[in-house]
Amino acid sequence: MGAVLLIAAKDLRQRLRDRSALVLCIVAPLAISFLMSSAFAGAEDLHVTVVVADEDGGEVAAALVAVLGSDELADLLTVEEATDRSAAAAAVDDGDADAGLVIPFGFSEAATGGGAAELEVLARSDRSLSASVVRSIAEGFYAEVEATRTAVGTALAVGAPLEDLEGLAARARAAPDALAVAAGELGGRELDLISYYAPGMAIFFALFAVGFTARSWWLEAAQGTLDRMRAAPIDPRAVLAGKVLSVFVYTVASLGTVAAATSFAFGAHWGPAPAVAAIVVAMAVAGTALTALVIALTRTEQQADGLASLLTFALALLGGSFIFVGTAPALLRRLAVATPNGWALRAITDLSTGAPASTAVTPVLAILAQSAAIAIAAAAIARRRAET
Amino acid sequence: MLECHDLVRRFGDRVAVDHVSFHVTAGETYGLLGPNGAGKSTTIKLVCGLLARHGGTVRLAGQQVDGRHLAAKAVVGYVPQDIALYPDLSAAENLRFFGRLYGLTGAELRARVDEVLHLVDLSDRAGDRVDTFSGGMKRRLNIAAGLVHRPQLLVLDEPTVGVDPQSRHAILESVARLGREGMAVLYTTHYMEEAQRLCDRVGIIDHGRLVAEGTHRELVSLVAEQDRIVLGATGDLRVLAERLGSLDGVTGTTVGDGSVQVLTTDARRLLPRVLEAAEATDAEVTSVEVVQPDLEAVFLHLTGSALRE
Repeated sequence: MGAVLLIAAKDLRQRLRDRSALVLCIVAPLAISFLMSSAFAGAEDLHVTVVVADEDGGEVAAALVAVLGSDELADLLTVEEATDRSAAAAAVDDGDADAGLVIPFGFSEAATGGGAAELEVLARSDRSLSASVVRSIAEGFYAEVEATRTAVGTALAVGAPLEDLEGLAARARAAPDALAVAAGELGGRELDLISYYAPGMAIFFALFAVGFTARSWWLEAAQGTLDRMRAAPIDPRAVLAGKVLSVFVYTVASLGTVAAATSFAFGAHWGPAPAVAAIVVAMAVAGTALTALVIALTRTEQQADGLASLLTFALALLGGSFIFVGTAPALLRRLAVATPNGWALRAITDLSTGAPASTAVTPVLAILAQSAAIAIAAAAIARRRAET
Repeated sequence: MLECHDLVRRFGDRVAVDHVSFHVTAGETYGLLGPNGAGKSTTIKLVCGLLARHGGTVRLAGQQVDGRHLAAKAVVGYVPQDIALYPDLSAAENLRFFGRLYGLTGAELRARVDEVLHLVDLSDRAGDRVDTFSGGMKRRLNIAAGLVHRPQLLVLDEPTVGVDPQSRHAILESVARLGREGMAVLYTTHYMEEAQRLCDRVGIIDHGRLVAEGTHRELVSLVAEQDRIVLGATGDLRVLAERLGSLDGVTGTTVGDGSVQVLTTDARRLLPRVLEAAEATDAEVTSVEVVQPDLEAVFLHLTGSALRE
C-alpha cells in the first residue's frame, strides 16, 4: 500500500506543477459555469420596456394597454406611451425602449365587429427576446378577445336576445376555463440551468484526468521510469494502482472544488452533500476504471491521447454535459444511462430539484457496476496482451 | 551475487536471449559486450525481473527472482539505458522518490540522497528541475538514482550512450570507484574500450547467445597471436576485402565504415603484400594501422563481424 500511495503522491505532485491540468480540471469548469451563470442570470431577470402607440383610442385598445400595465406584469414590463407609430419606432431605434407595440386605427372596432386589424410589434434585431415577450402578451390578449367574440356569436346563434349583447360579452369573459394545464413538479424545486450545467461541465472536465494519466503511463514507459519503478521490490501491480489512485484523488478534488465553488459563488444547487459526495466518489471510481481501459487498449502516448480525448467527448456528449438529456430524443436518453457520467448527472439533477438523498443510491450502484465491468474488460485485454 | 542459468527469452519467433548463463561475484565488475540488438538489454531486464523469462533461473544474493520473491530485487540498483528520471521534478525529489520505493525513509533517506548527489557531483543542483540539466548531468543523476538505496549489485545498461567525452569519463570513473569499493557491477556496452577498462570479466554476446566469457587476457588468448591491419580506404571496399582475404596468412577480413580490417598472425610481415594487393584494386588506401589483439579482434574472430557493424 505504501508504494501505491507513494506513486499516487508523485503523480499528483507532477499534476499540480502542470498548470494545464489544473486549468482543465478546476479553472475551466468554474469559468464556464460562471459564464453560463452570468448569461442565465440575464435571462432570469428579464425586464422589458415597451413603448405603446395607441393610434386607435378605442375601448379594446385601452383594455390592451391596461393589460400591459397591470400589476401582474409589473415585474416584467414597463409601459411608456408614444403619440404615434413613428415616435414609437424612434424610441426603439434609439434604445430608449426594448420593444414597441403599435395599435392601429380601427383595432377596437375590428375586435368587436368582426373585422380585421393587425397589431404591430417593433424591435431591433438584437432585442428579439423582448419582442417575443410583447408579442406573446398581445397574442394572449387577442386570443381572449377572439374567445369572447366566439362565445357571444354562438349565444346569438342559438337565440339569445340581441339587446343583451353587453351582458353576454361580460358573462363570456367571466366564465372559468373548462380546460387547463396544471404545472406538476417531481421535485420540490424547478431545475435552473446553472444547477444542470455546473455539474455537467465539472464532470466533463474531470474526465480529462483519464487522458492525463493514460498519457503519463506511456510517457513513463518510453522514458524508462516505469521500468525503474518495476525494478524496485514492490508488487508490479502497485505501479498501475498508484497511477489510477491519482485519477481518483484528482477527480474527487476537481468535482468537489467545482461543486463548492459553483454552489457558493453562483447559487447552483447540487443537492444534499452526503449524496453528492457518494456520486463524486462513484465518478472517481469510474475515472480509475476508464484510465485502466485506455492504458490496456493503447501502446503509445499518442494513442492514449487520442483514445482518451475521444472517450471524454463521447461520454460528455452522451451523458448530457453539453445538452439537456431530459428533453433529448428517447435514444439519447437511453444512451445516457449507458454512461457513468450520465447516471451521475441524472442523480445530481434529481437531487438539485429537491429529491431525497436516497435517490442517489441507484445511480451510485449503477456507476459502480459500470466501473467494475470496465475494469474487468481492461484486465482481460491487458492479460491477453501480456500473453502475446 | 548474481547467478543466471540458461536464460531464454523470445519475442514471437525471434529468440532474443538464447540459453545464456553467467555469474557475477561480490566486488566483481562483469561486462556484457556486444553490438546493438545482441540481447544485452533483454538479458538485463530478465535479471531485474522486468521481463518474464521463457526459461532459466536468476538468483540474486542467493534468492530466486520471481514474482513472489520481491525482496531479492532490493539488492539490485538498476540504471536503464534511457534517462529514466522525471524532468519536472528536482534532482533531490527524483532520488527521494526512488529511495522511498526501496524502503528508505527519514534521516537515512536524506543522508543517502546527499551522498549520491555528492558522488555524481550534483550537490549544488539538488533543488533544480531535471529538465534544466545538461545531457551529461542527467546521465550522472540517472546512475545516482540506481545507487540511492545502496545496492549490492549495480546493473548499468549502456550508461554512456550519447554522452560527451567529459561526462563519459566521469561516469566511467564513478563506476570504477564503485567497483574498487566492493560493489558488484553488471555493465553492458558495445564499446570495447569501456569493457577493457572497467571489467574484471567480460561476456561476449551476439544474436542472443553468450559466445565467450573470461578475463581480458583469457579472451585475447582465444585469438592466439592474431593482429589486425586496419586499412582506411575509398572505393569498392568489398572487392578490396575479397582480394585481401585471398592472401596467404590472412585469416579473415571485414568491411567497416570506410575501412577494411584484416586478421593475420603476423601483421608486420604481411603488411607489404596487403598494400600491394590493395593497389591492384580500384580502391584507394588512405590510412594504415596495425592493431595488437584486443576484444574487438576477439569479437571479430568469434562472430565474423565487427562490434559496430
